[in-house]
Amino acid sequence: MLEDDRTKRPEIELRDVALGYANRLVFEALDLSVRTGRLTALCGPNGCGKSTALRAMRALLPAQAGNVLLKGRSVAEFSAKALAREIAMLTQNPAAPDEMTVHHLVSLGRYAHRTGFSSDARADRAAVAAALDSTNLSDLGDRAIGTLSGGQLQRVWIAMVLAQAAPVVLLDEPTNHLDIAHALEVLSLVRRLGAQEGKTVIVVLHDLNLAARFADDIVFFQGGKVAGCGPVEEVFRRELIEEVFGIECLVRREEAADRPYCIPLAACPGRRERLVEP
Amino acid sequence: MTAASVTGTPPRLSRAGRLVLLVLLLVALALLGIGLGSSRMSLDRVLLALAGEGARSDGIIVWSLRMPRLLMAVLCGGALALAGFILQRATRNVLAAPSVLGIVDGGALGVMIFLFLFSNESNALTVSILWQPLAAASGALLFAAAVVLLAVRTGAPPLRIILYGVALGALAKAGVTLFMIDGPVHRASQAATWLAGSVHEARWSDVSTLAAALAVLVPLAFLVMRRMDQLQLDEQSAAATGLPVRATQLVLFALATCLTAAAVSFAGAVGFVGLVAPHAARLVIGGRALPQAVGALLLGSAMLVAADLAVRIAFAPLEVPAGAVTAVIGAPYFLFILLRAGRVHA
Repeated sequence: MLEDDRTKRPEIELRDVALGYANRLVFEALDLSVRTGRLTALCGPNGCGKSTALRAMRALLPAQAGNVLLKGRSVAEFSAKALAREIAMLTQNPAAPDEMTVHHLVSLGRYAHRTGFSSDARADRAAVAAALDSTNLSDLGDRAIGTLSGGQLQRVWIAMVLAQAAPVVLLDEPTNHLDIAHALEVLSLVRRLGAQEGKTVIVVLHDLNLAARFADDIVFFQGGKVAGCGPVEEVFRRELIEEVFGIECLVRREEAADRPYCIPLAACPGRRERLVEP
Repeated sequence: MTAASVTGTPPRLSRAGRLVLLVLLLVALALLGIGLGSSRMSLDRVLLALAGEGARSDGIIVWSLRMPRLLMAVLCGGALALAGFILQRATRNVLAAPSVLGIVDGGALGVMIFLFLFSNESNALTVSILWQPLAAASGALLFAAAVVLLAVRTGAPPLRIILYGVALGALAKAGVTLFMIDGPVHRASQAATWLAGSVHEARWSDVSTLAAALAVLVPLAFLVMRRMDQLQLDEQSAAATGLPVRATQLVLFALATCLTAAAVSFAGAVGFVGLVAPHAARLVIGGRALPQAVGALLLGSAMLVAADLAVRIAFAPLEVPAGAVTAVIGAPYFLFILLRAGRVHA
């Protein structure tokens, strides 16, 4: 019962948030709440603002109007380090020098836990070791990241995010540039770790079927608005997907995992307009 | 943590061992620097003079002539190298250096304006030459501030900051050239020496002023090492780990500028030390920011001491500026970095 109460509370809320860049407003008034302890996938066509919304949650992009709340408190009120202890984020194209070792990179996730000279070296070492262990990287600690494969490298970045030990984890297209095997590996890792530690995980995903397979909740963005938001079973419907992406498709059920999946049939741009102008 | 490397590279000296080697290299160069010159001294005479027990003439040569020159080379080389290291971290670019970012050229323009304003008809300075370092520092600080302002105004990514620096540096250089052509010949040659950068006119008072400045700046730089480690990540990732990226970059820029201004105001525009030494430290020492910064300091000092030694041996009795040698070594190294960077990102 208690667990249920916890997952109904919103961890992150966007209220009437305007977001955009110098020459383009992506959201005029975005309302969205993400529930605690669940894995939420943000989906939608290119340029719909998935990553923009994610960056706003981490306060990497300031809201031009409205409020971004973490557990009811505006993220703008947090100091840089305090917010980093609450929310970790894997950015879309993370970069570090090729010669940096895996261990060094993962330890950079500990920055927010070090204050002045009083860093708890033992806690840092333990967190880094645990992050390496849970991503199966313990043997690669001394390798330079430039020598790793794409899948290994992505695991290293996830390990860095885990070492940050934040209750909320944001992942911006973590399966980008990965083949399907590595994509599955990364997402099952994220799913398993999130469940084990009761983390709230929010992940931007391009692949609808990966989202349906791994997420608890899905948010569909379209044309600067939330087109659908809720548990996979409720929002992963043919009509909604067809309208959000402007396609024709079929939605079927995979029995073994008891999850829906989508078979795209044809592009059909006309469908999208219906949603934009109701 | 395992100490040994499992990276497949052949076993090599530990990081601490490599740093100790650099210290020994610097000490060896320093002893050579004291012993060699227009009159040569053997090692035992150098050591005796240093201990204050040698011949009186040896003592004078060592303590009044060669020691300030040597220390000036050590301090300037180290300061420029550390400035370069900080800039390379702040911009995440191995091509960043005090001379690339227009800071040194700004200092040069400051010196030219100083020489222009305070020379009388007979080419004599109307104020003390001791004001020249202040003019150099003002020019350097002014141009660095202009680069930072441009970058902040446009929210420019690191690469753009470098381009702004190059552009403003070119502007300063053009100004310097105009003053050289338009100014009196005598002043032009004095300016040329400053522009190449040299330590042969070092005085004890200069050395102690510079040492005092560095005694403040260097510890400050070592306080922000962890931030510089964090800045190896791309800006978004660094911010996501809790680093206030823009504020950190601003602090680093200010530190690097002060270090550069302090160094060039006394030694002049010694080129390429701030580019080569930190890059070489990255190759030779590697690892976290702290050991690399120490390595850069040592390499920068060694580089300038060696350059000064080279000009003394090769061109005696002429006094060729040491900066000419660092440029001769540095420019090809710059090309090497460019080619290497091109290969990595290809």
